[in-house]
Amino acid sequence: MKEEFVPKIIGFVCSWCSSAGADVAGSAQLNVPSSFVPISVMCSSRVDPTLILAAFLRGADGVLVAGCRPRDCHYENGNYYARRRFALVKNIIKSLGLEPERLRLSWIHGSEGQRFADVVTQFAEHVKGLGPNPARKRIDL
Amino acid sequence: MTKGAVIPKKGTTEKAILDFIKEAWEKNCFDSLLIPVEIPSGDSYTYLLIQDPSLIENASPLPPITSVQGARAISSITRKGKVTKRIAAIMRPCEIKAGMELHKLEQADLENVVLISVDCPGALPLSDYVPDSKTGKEKFLKVLKEWGGESVRPVCKTCLHFGAELGDLHIAILGDENSIYLIPNSDKGKEMLRSLGISAEENLPGWDTKISEIKKKKEENKKKSEEQLESEVLGLDRLLETFSKCIGCHNCMRACPICYCASCYFDSDNTEHDGTDYVDRAENKGALKFPCDTLFFHLGRMSHMSLSCLGCGSCEDACPMSIPVAQLFSFVGQKNQELFGYFPGMDKEEKVPLVVYKEKEFEEFEDSH
Repeated sequence: MKEEFVPKIIGFVCSWCSSAGADVAGSAQLNVPSSFVPISVMCSSRVDPTLILAAFLRGADGVLVAGCRPRDCHYENGNYYARRRFALVKNIIKSLGLEPERLRLSWIHGSEGQRFADVVTQFAEHVKGLGPNPARKRIDL
Repeated sequence: MTKGAVIPKKGTTEKAILDFIKEAWEKNCFDSLLIPVEIPSGDSYTYLLIQDPSLIENASPLPPITSVQGARAISSITRKGKVTKRIAAIMRPCEIKAGMELHKLEQADLENVVLISVDCPGALPLSDYVPDSKTGKEKFLKVLKEWGGESVRPVCKTCLHFGAELGDLHIAILGDENSIYLIPNSDKGKEMLRSLGISAEENLPGWDTKISEIKKKKEENKKKSEEQLESEVLGLDRLLETFSKCIGCHNCMRACPICYCASCYFDSDNTEHDGTDYVDRAENKGALKFPCDTLFFHLGRMSHMSLSCLGCGSCEDACPMSIPVAQLFSFVGQKNQELFGYFPGMDKEEKVPLVVYKEKEFEEFEDSH
């Protein structure tokens, strides 16, 4: 029997708004794909481009960075820096002809449980359509 | 119309430049000189910080190669703070830009440094010049005559800043066989010429025309080079093939003037894993090549320095496996610099893009794939 492709998504989730949103989703028992692997970071600005690259090159089918909405960052302006860093990495991946569509940045407010579930589900659907990350099988990476 | 001073040549172009430098030194425009000098064995050049004006005779303001990246010499001298003696530094435009960028990154202090650039026809690859410098010197004479040509490094063929007025004073050698032009580009440069009684108010149409002509050709080269990159290097398969020769020596990072970190992340323990990690990966994939995580190093280095990449080519010169690393890094660097509207090495006061932000920007990156 052919195995259905279940995309593995690595999510860098900030400990304040985004995690709270994730908790709300959990308490409300909303459906969130189980292949989503959340990694807590204190702030989305902790996400160095190399973290995104490591996840991508190690074979993650999708990489999500989730932080507080602009003006709501727990550390005031971390998410603004995060947005610039994300734009930089995504542009590098795009310029090199790799797959920038496997990277996503989303702002999720602490109360937005449904939005958290929606973001992850939509992203998983989108990544499923892209197929497995070819980096996973490369021995010369 | 660019304005500058017209200085008649008495002999070769290099002599004319050195004569001007000697005069400026004698008249106390600066205290010491940082300039390339040929090494005794005759097969390379290095930077000398000269305090004794009589040693200028062996200096070369336009060497055939860029062995040491000049900005690293400036950084060595001024990283711990500005010097109290005034230093005049003569280097290629890409070295000047790297110096300006390092100043912004707090790795150099340009306060008492006068940056002097010279029209640059390009540099020969180190791997061509060093084993046979006699032929190399002949090739470079041809390069000067043709202004570029096939023997210069690939990144030099597409460089648009060869005649840029960067730094404090630019010495133009194109446009007139019988003179060199001095083009002040800052208050420091203007003050230097003023103190020498040199007026910089003459129009230089010959230079402007020649620069536009050469720029056009370089832009065509750039387009061809991007097309070649797209068909030979971009995409996962071609990228991995290009880097399959990489031996992980990190020479590219060490030679790069922008890579200033005393301890690079990619040399740290963080990039070394437990044996089970490697064995598991080999099991999942069928095999695992060593050195490992090659693309992670290169893409990671891009993410750290590409916004400041000047396309100086030192990385490609340093690669023992002849990987076109400068061509690729400067291509990605330019794409990132366009995205942020940032021009590295041009304005000392402009902050690097990752330390500033706007509340509303890059909205196209939010919630999109």
